[in-house]
Amino acid sequence: MHIFSAILFAAITFSAQAQNQGKAILSLGYNYSLPTGAFKSDLISNGSARGFTGDLMFTINHKWSVGLGFGFQDYYQKYPRAIYPTGNHEETSAVLSNSIQALPVIAKGTFMPLAGKAGLVQPYITAGAGLSFVSFRQYLGAFGNVSSSASFAAQGGAGVIIPFKKNSATGINIGADYNYVRYQHFGYSNLNNLSFHAGVHFPLK
Amino acid sequence: MKKLSIVFLVSAVSTFWFAGCSKEPLNHLTAEETRIYVTNYDSVANFSAYKTYSIADSVAVIDNGQHSRALSASDQAYIDAVNKYMQQRGYVLTTANASPDLGLTVNRIYNTATSVVTYNDYYDTYYGSYWDPYYWGYGGYGYYVPYGYSVYQVTEGAVSVDMLDLKNAKSTGKIGLVWNGLVRGEGIFAESNANAQVKALFDQSSYLKANN
Repeated sequence: MHIFSAILFAAITFSAQAQNQGKAILSLGYNYSLPTGAFKSDLISNGSARGFTGDLMFTINHKWSVGLGFGFQDYYQKYPRAIYPTGNHEETSAVLSNSIQALPVIAKGTFMPLAGKAGLVQPYITAGAGLSFVSFRQYLGAFGNVSSSASFAAQGGAGVIIPFKKNSATGINIGADYNYVRYQHFGYSNLNNLSFHAGVHFPLK
Repeated sequence: MKKLSIVFLVSAVSTFWFAGCSKEPLNHLTAEETRIYVTNYDSVANFSAYKTYSIADSVAVIDNGQHSRALSASDQAYIDAVNKYMQQRGYVLTTANASPDLGLTVNRIYNTATSVVTYNDYYDTYYGSYWDPYYWGYGGYGYYVPYGYSVYQVTEGAVSVDMLDLKNAKSTGKIGLVWNGLVRGEGIFAESNANAQVKALFDQSSYLKANN
């Protein structure tokens, strides 16, 4: 949590400076997420095509920006009927459904190494940490449990911005992120995932 | 600026549209998939040591703690199915007065929960957007609700099959419940589903087998 606090503090500090010095840039995009590791093997193996992502970033200089990332992703999977041990000598035959909604709020920084140089495509790398608000519903047949929590999340990613025209601050943003989401409830360990996003990128002023 | 607004509008609408496509798990279940089959057994019971059984000729209806007996077509279908699968496992049907090793009962269980809906919650001006008075052409008016709440009830049902140890009743001084199967979900009281429900309970209880 110390890392998260430091990044959040840095982002807020830089954001405050940037509001005076730089531009506010909003990215909004469609997000596709692929569960990985224990999330994939224990909870949801399907990719989720139901999500969006957004960043509100403030430029510090022409290469660096800091701000907040946010988003939403809906994961769902129904497993065929199987028999689960549910007690000492109790077994339950059921169709198992897992439904997870994640809303990350991430303090993040972005570095664009080629910013200011001629060229259409601007690559960038990004990293951040924050919280993911997770709603987890698990059903045996029609009978379920609900759990809501806030979990530590960290993110690292890369992508490109393709301006609509030369020197335009508005463009298309395409990228990928790896998301670490610590989730230690009901014996599960994480909701780590790899996400791909595509959307638009434009200054607010 | 106009172009920027269009970009923002299109991207916002499209992204939030995707967000609105969350899958509600309960809307993606068939009636069969809503059902669960739960079995419990006594770990010290030796099911192969039992030879004979008897089954009650009617069904106990347990409705919020009130007991009665019934025999609907669905009840009879459950009793027939239990007989069928007990005999498939090698147990022999006998009468209750012929000292059977096992006694079986089928039970319908209903639990009714009572909840309250509070009208003030959604006619309060604080929640006015729920049914904004503008909808009726009386913008700026407030609602007046002379009564505060209404009561509604939700009933949930289950079917259980209980297996009782009569063979050892005299030596232990009690009638032990050695196996129980419970069915919950949509359509469980339908006569046409009874056989499949009982089959599912027996399918996951492979230890139920007489040693003839």
